[in-house]
Amino acid sequence: MKVINAILLIILFTVRLNAQQPENDATTVSIKAITGLQFDVVRFHVKPGAKVNLIFTNADDMSHNLLITKPGTRLEVVDSALKLEERAPELNYIPKSSQVLWSIPVLSPNQTKSISFTAPIQTGAYPYVCTYPGHGFVMYGVMYVSADGKMPDIKNDPNIPPSRKQDQDVHAKMDMHSVQASQKTASHPYEPIAPYLYRIFMDDASPAAIAVSLPSDLSYCWDPETCSLIYAWNGGFIDNTELWKGHRNANAKIIGSVFYRENTTYPLRIGNLQKTPIVKFKGYRLINRYPEFHYTIDGVDVFELILPKKDGNGLIRTFKIPNANKIVCFYPNVENESAEYEFSAGKLEQGVLKLTAKEAMEFTVTMTNYSLVYARKKK
Amino acid sequence: MPGKRNKMKFKIFYSLAASFLIFVSAILVEHDPVKEAYTVENIKTPDGLTAETGGITFLPDGRLVACFIRGEVMIYDPKSKEWKLFAEGLHEPLGILAVNNSEFIIMQRPELTRVKDTDGDGQADVYEKVTDDFGLSGNYHEFNYGPVKDKEGNLFVSFNTASPGGNVKSKIRGEFYPLGRDNQPGLYEMYSVVPNRGWVMKVTSDGKIQPYASGLRSPNGLGFDQQGNLFVTDNQSDWVETSTLYHIKEGNFYGHPASLVWTKDWKRGNPFTIPINELDSMRTKAAVLFPQGIMANSPSQPLCDITEGKFGPFAGQLFVGEMNRDRIVRVMLEKVGGEFQGACIPFIDGHGLRKGNNRLAFAPDGSLWVGQITFGWGGDYGIQRIVYNGEQPTDVYSMKLTAKGFDLTFTQPLDKARAMDLNNYKFRHYYYKYQRKPKNEGADLSTQQDLQNVSVKHIKISADRKKISLILDELKPGYIYELKLGDITNAEGKPLDNKLICYTLNKLVLADNSK
Repeated sequence: MKVINAILLIILFTVRLNAQQPENDATTVSIKAITGLQFDVVRFHVKPGAKVNLIFTNADDMSHNLLITKPGTRLEVVDSALKLEERAPELNYIPKSSQVLWSIPVLSPNQTKSISFTAPIQTGAYPYVCTYPGHGFVMYGVMYVSADGKMPDIKNDPNIPPSRKQDQDVHAKMDMHSVQASQKTASHPYEPIAPYLYRIFMDDASPAAIAVSLPSDLSYCWDPETCSLIYAWNGGFIDNTELWKGHRNANAKIIGSVFYRENTTYPLRIGNLQKTPIVKFKGYRLINRYPEFHYTIDGVDVFELILPKKDGNGLIRTFKIPNANKIVCFYPNVENESAEYEFSAGKLEQGVLKLTAKEAMEFTVTMTNYSLVYARKKK
Repeated sequence: MPGKRNKMKFKIFYSLAASFLIFVSAILVEHDPVKEAYTVENIKTPDGLTAETGGITFLPDGRLVACFIRGEVMIYDPKSKEWKLFAEGLHEPLGILAVNNSEFIIMQRPELTRVKDTDGDGQADVYEKVTDDFGLSGNYHEFNYGPVKDKEGNLFVSFNTASPGGNVKSKIRGEFYPLGRDNQPGLYEMYSVVPNRGWVMKVTSDGKIQPYASGLRSPNGLGFDQQGNLFVTDNQSDWVETSTLYHIKEGNFYGHPASLVWTKDWKRGNPFTIPINELDSMRTKAAVLFPQGIMANSPSQPLCDITEGKFGPFAGQLFVGEMNRDRIVRVMLEKVGGEFQGACIPFIDGHGLRKGNNRLAFAPDGSLWVGQITFGWGGDYGIQRIVYNGEQPTDVYSMKLTAKGFDLTFTQPLDKARAMDLNNYKFRHYYYKYQRKPKNEGADLSTQQDLQNVSVKHIKISADRKKISLILDELKPGYIYELKLGDITNAEGKPLDNKLICYTLNKLVLADNSK
């Protein structure tokens, strides 16, 4: 299906460009420099000897030029541009070389310039590239000169930037299976096995968030800003693809569905229950690879460890408050009506778990989420 | 056919003699005459690792520790050439400092973190917050750099401003202060709407973080010299007309206005409305400017050569990584009128070096290790090392300002005739304007102002033929003096390794101090 889509798109693309190439008339090609050091069009084709009208627009906020080079000489030209050194700015970073066939000087944002030329008679792949320092290694494309208009499969086209080879199957990425498949290609020099975590940008969390993958396909997001579990999901873990591309605003995407969402900013209180507590994150220690978070609530040390329930139907949260010296309250999320809570200690009074200082030295809150029970049954 | 036979014999004799001669000459000539002073070697990184290098440093036991953008911390043993995973899951770590063989302080996006192996299994089990007392808007460009340690044990880190190419999140950390962003028309103003974006910060040994110096834009690199002076690089664009090396002093402002809003008791409101002349008088100028498109576009970490000769003749000078091309830059500083200024010159171009040179560290054997990064920009992946082969480079050792010109000292005696040829010294001067980025100008465009050729009036060579004294037609403070050296060679006819050198002339040498 994906292959058919790609072929279809290539055909459409080809037809569109061909449509702009009537007999005895110039082929007009518009190329824009766009954000992220790239050209919007990374390849096009013309017939040998065709008149070409190339319109280049800088739609980015950086400076860009455009050079068309002889086949196979892109990197050489990029290198000669770097060697211009002190003469580079005045020459618009365009080396005087027989390998440069045509060029458009450095354009500022929103500037447009066009050139007209006659395409070579010699068929081949003629690279175009921006030789502004640092751009030439990633910012390029290719003009195919051929009578039949054939271009290689875009996925295997060696003349376009690697990041652009998948352009044609962007929509296929929405497919859950392909997301999980892409997770399986090596992200690290080791196979991550749950439990493991990332500090990473997450949706609906502060920028300091921690995402933890647990066994039994459970995951949760814990926020050091509020020092609390803020949501949990089952399915896969997270997809970091967009973030790891770098140089863009992006969050990790959770894979799966959220089964729990905290409704209280500070579910744990020590002593004064009316006052908004002051929480401070201190760090975490790995216990059998599970993070045990350390934080303080109004100056009192708290340790929190979150494990999956053995049957995979929820989470077990163990809190240790060695020196509470005061009453401790825990507010279970009552809005989560399909969840059941069990407490190892304390008394539930009007929906609030109350613990003595001694009980609070170590207690667990076990959450059984019926959405997980039913999902598992369906399997 | 006897003749033929004799010819054969003669041929055999001849080739034997030739091989003998080659053999003898190989023994007699210790150094291959074409041997380069420096060689670049690739370090193989583990399969599956995306080697976007955020930080490298050496442990007391001689192993290398490196952190990578996807959160791994890995240790490399140069003897066994093996990599081991030490820690994982960090958020975009961009700097690492070794406390000992099993404890590191790492600057990651949300936190300065102490990462420790406490049970001796070779893997970290404790991730302890040192400080997270700084703002995060969620903007992708709020990178954090450092830490470096001073002689008293204080740590220094620096915080990048946010980019207009990205937004802020609805949930942020720290106070939100919108006046840290320019709201005049224009595209490129980097911003500081959470504390203390655009600052160098000091972290004391008890974990308290204090604002130290402001006015930075993209300060991707901190380093101390051997005297304890702190240097930080900054990257060209709005307000930073060309990339810089700053000598950082407490309380100083270095030119990018956004960060000013986090100045203690700041009462001036929008810092972008302060008249340019006033901003100019408030700022401390760069010790060294790296001309854009000529020397460096994205300088990274400055590292002082502490190898005492193990890495060649440049002990005490600074090496600076360059992201945009296959180059490491060398910086030669001097104090003029009480402040640092000086020159930059390529140290190594090409020779197998990749681009994206982000982090530098000296190994105990004196080799210079380089970590590369790209992260959505025009860089590269991996780790390399540069080894000094013991062959003296043919290079400029220092460039010093005199009352009327410059003294150039070379690493080797020069061929006198070539060295005395005035045509081999082409000077230009120009400056870059301190300004808000003009609307509609490319973010990475820099314009050289008052670009002029400057002629050399007089030349003198020292008795040891290593020092050239040049007298120029004129010297103007506030200008870069760019020197392109021509066909100069050492006494054996070997050409110079690097020929382009740019001196940032902030202050003139007073005439009576010149001797």
